[in-house]
Amino acid sequence: MASLGFYLLLTAFVVSAYALAASVAGARRRSARLTESGIGAFYLVAAVMSVASSIIVYAFVAGDYSIKYVQRYSDSVQPLFYKITSYWGGLDGSIMFWVFLLSLFGSAAVYINRERHRELIPYVVAVISVVQMFFLFLMVIHNNPFETYLTENPADGAGLNPLLQNFYMVIHPPTMYTGFVGLTIPYAFGMAALITGYLDDSWLRAVRRWTMISWLFLSVGLGLGMLWAYEELGWGGYWGWDPVENAGLLPWFTATAFLHSVRVQESRGMLRVWNVTLVILTFFLTIFGTFMTRSGVVQSVHAFGEDPELARMFTIFMVSILVFSFGFVIYRLPLLRARNELDSWVSREAAFLANNWILLFSAFFVLFATMFPTISEAVTGERLTVGPPFFNKWMLPVGLMLLLLTGVGPLLAWRKSTVSNLRDQFLIPVVVALAISGMFVALGFRIWTSGVCFALCGFVMGTIGQEFWRGARVRQGATGTDILTALIGLVARNKRRYGGYIVHVGIVLIFLGFAGEGFKQDEQVLLKPGQQAEVGDIVVRLDAVRVTDDGQKQMITAHTTVFRDGEELAKMYPAKWFFRKHEGEPTTEVAIRRSITEDIYLVLPAFNLEEQSASMEIVINPLVNWVWLGFGILAIGTGIALLPDTVFAFAVARIPAHAVTTSLLLLSLLLWPAAVIAQSAQNVPVKERSQLERRLESEIMCTCGCKSPMGSCPMRPNCSHYDQQEVRLKAHLAEGKDYDAVKASFIQEFGGQAVLAAPIDQGFNRLAWLFPYLAAAAALIGIVVSARRWSRQAAPASTADDGVDPALNARLDDELRDLD
Amino acid sequence: MSHKAAKIGLTSLVLTLAFGGLLYSTLGESAQYYKHVDEVMVQPDAWYGKPLQIHGFAKNVSRKRDSLEYRFEMESNGQIVRASYTGIVPDTFKNDSEVVLTGTLGPDGFHATGMTAKCPSKYEPKGVTSTGTN
Repeated sequence: MASLGFYLLLTAFVVSAYALAASVAGARRRSARLTESGIGAFYLVAAVMSVASSIIVYAFVAGDYSIKYVQRYSDSVQPLFYKITSYWGGLDGSIMFWVFLLSLFGSAAVYINRERHRELIPYVVAVISVVQMFFLFLMVIHNNPFETYLTENPADGAGLNPLLQNFYMVIHPPTMYTGFVGLTIPYAFGMAALITGYLDDSWLRAVRRWTMISWLFLSVGLGLGMLWAYEELGWGGYWGWDPVENAGLLPWFTATAFLHSVRVQESRGMLRVWNVTLVILTFFLTIFGTFMTRSGVVQSVHAFGEDPELARMFTIFMVSILVFSFGFVIYRLPLLRARNELDSWVSREAAFLANNWILLFSAFFVLFATMFPTISEAVTGERLTVGPPFFNKWMLPVGLMLLLLTGVGPLLAWRKSTVSNLRDQFLIPVVVALAISGMFVALGFRIWTSGVCFALCGFVMGTIGQEFWRGARVRQGATGTDILTALIGLVARNKRRYGGYIVHVGIVLIFLGFAGEGFKQDEQVLLKPGQQAEVGDIVVRLDAVRVTDDGQKQMITAHTTVFRDGEELAKMYPAKWFFRKHEGEPTTEVAIRRSITEDIYLVLPAFNLEEQSASMEIVINPLVNWVWLGFGILAIGTGIALLPDTVFAFAVARIPAHAVTTSLLLLSLLLWPAAVIAQSAQNVPVKERSQLERRLESEIMCTCGCKSPMGSCPMRPNCSHYDQQEVRLKAHLAEGKDYDAVKASFIQEFGGQAVLAAPIDQGFNRLAWLFPYLAAAAALIGIVVSARRWSRQAAPASTADDGVDPALNARLDDELRDLD
Repeated sequence: MSHKAAKIGLTSLVLTLAFGGLLYSTLGESAQYYKHVDEVMVQPDAWYGKPLQIHGFAKNVSRKRDSLEYRFEMESNGQIVRASYTGIVPDTFKNDSEVVLTGTLGPDGFHATGMTAKCPSKYEPKGVTSTGTN
């Protein structure tokens, strides 16, 4: 099995090499047969990689521990779901997964564009083949996931780290990979355009959608990573400027810049060199990010292994990319001359330009600061580091400037804005911003960066609201429908523009969450039962520290009650879990009480069972949920912008070329709820390890004061309290009650959950987990509903257009164009 | 054309200089030396008061009763420095765990204001993880 897998990787390498040779030769000799054969070989790579992937997944599921990779990252007791996802759990497998995704994406991109961009395709195939060959080479030479143990085969695997046996860690890496890998496609098209010299805007049209999809995945991946850090790591925040996080952020900056500057090239024929450069940089940064996190060149708290040989190979590849790509840019400079010049600094293209500069500066700054320890060591011999405060000091004003431009850009006209034009556009948003800042001053808020951020959020929301309102009014006047229909029609008519505005709404909400960070309160305390701590306007009282065991893990739970203004707000149960086989690496189970205004976030970092004391970290995170909400809205907005132009194809289920994009989008939306199901399956104890009674004994407390569950009461067999509890339990069971019913009866008898060793998983906590997926589901429903609505309207609308009033239609078009 | 090129060149020069200057000045305040214990302990008094991150393995960890004050020793390559830290420590902080402390060195030991413990990673299994080379 393992050797078959390895030979498949070799085959994929050889076939990629053939695809490269055949398509380049075919393009140069203008031989359609050779080119076709290259494309065929290219598809074949995808097929071979699919088979190789199934082999490794099979090895995980079947538990073939003779394969080193399988042995290291899984074990036999792992749930099936985690066995499958262990595929990308380690370095070697993640490289293979990378190639697998790239071959699929590449094939899809080539298939979709093979007619429309016939002249570019051979070189697209060639460029993607080279990238595939690099990663395949890495695997064949250095990181073979199919490597086997030569002598003794271990009987069982080492198991995946419990911190990573978590739903977010399953979904977050592939989401990031999808984003990273997807960004290879625009690069391949850009390079093909440079090589062939077909540098009109057609290559941009081919890659716009791919960039948007990749960008969506990258954004969602970053959001999920933040959510994971927030809920699992238990340090109270979600972004720590760790090199691994930064690696994902770098291409996000440049991809965002590209998505904006593309608009300028389309409308005004400017920034052509710039766009090619951005595509190259974005691709380069995806490779660089992979290099940075995998080779140990930057030290991170995440202990990635150091691997100088891998670093060397990556360096060679990266230098080749830069030389090759920018070599062609310089060679093609004469063809890339702008068709227009910047007329005025008060114009939309200037705003886009400023936005690009800031984004690019952000990318370089983050890159510089992340690499600073390495750079300083190379230059001075001293290893100097910079921490999160340094990043924050710089990125805070930069972020605020970006936020300002988000609002200003859409208000400016292309080419040049007149003074009356400016007054007309800026009046309402500025009034909104002033009103908000006035309110904050009046209320006496002291933190000025957050205050500025709130005011800017108001400003941007004002501009976006104004855009939607004015557009809808114009359309309403022209079509005579109600305002809501006009609004939907407006969005449908210019999906990219209005989808983009919705993305901006998401960004504003994310910034709102960031601004809340300024009011964060954080307190570390040591409590004994009965003692309480005051943080902000809440009081946390420790009631008890209890130990329970569910067979898979030992759980230490702090039972606390949270009060505000003397009233009980909630009971919260931060905990620490010690998984079997991983006792040395306990996981911190944070208790979070979410609300729209603030999260109360309790952590139990340490405890002492003899003293019955618990050190607790109490954090109040204002507005943090707006960050997650913002990511949801951002996904919805991108979804709208991505809808195929023939929207009704979506609903009527004709299968056009767009179907792939659409289904990718759908798949991404469907994947989330599916993963949620997997998560809840993980949280419900998987196996009934013993009989019902024994299980209940381990979960219902003995009342003798031993602070243990009945099953492990140290006073037995001479404990009268235990006997009483046992009588009760037996009586309930004799009545034929099931697990939940027995627990419910105990809660009723004892007037609260204190009788339970571990609190019942609360509905609210579950809901919180579901939050992003609900947003995604809402996006899906929204897309389907509006697609149906548009498709239903499309038919009558077109007949009306044809028969009734062509003049009206023309006027509408004119007015919409003016708006643009 | 050359006029335009000059304008662009001048603008980028000014911007680069401004950013470079700002970067340099802020860097001075924020940068910390990153050292292993043995590198520092060769000549400890040279490091007194400087912002420092030290990397080593924790030994003899003890905690004052009813408080969050930790006292321990940091070791690497046979060199040892006493260290203290008040606050909540990471899960993985215990004897022999690999940690990076942020703080300042004084004659009575290292006063840590921050602590990061090496975090288990998905990418390398236990035992193979970084050996702490620089």
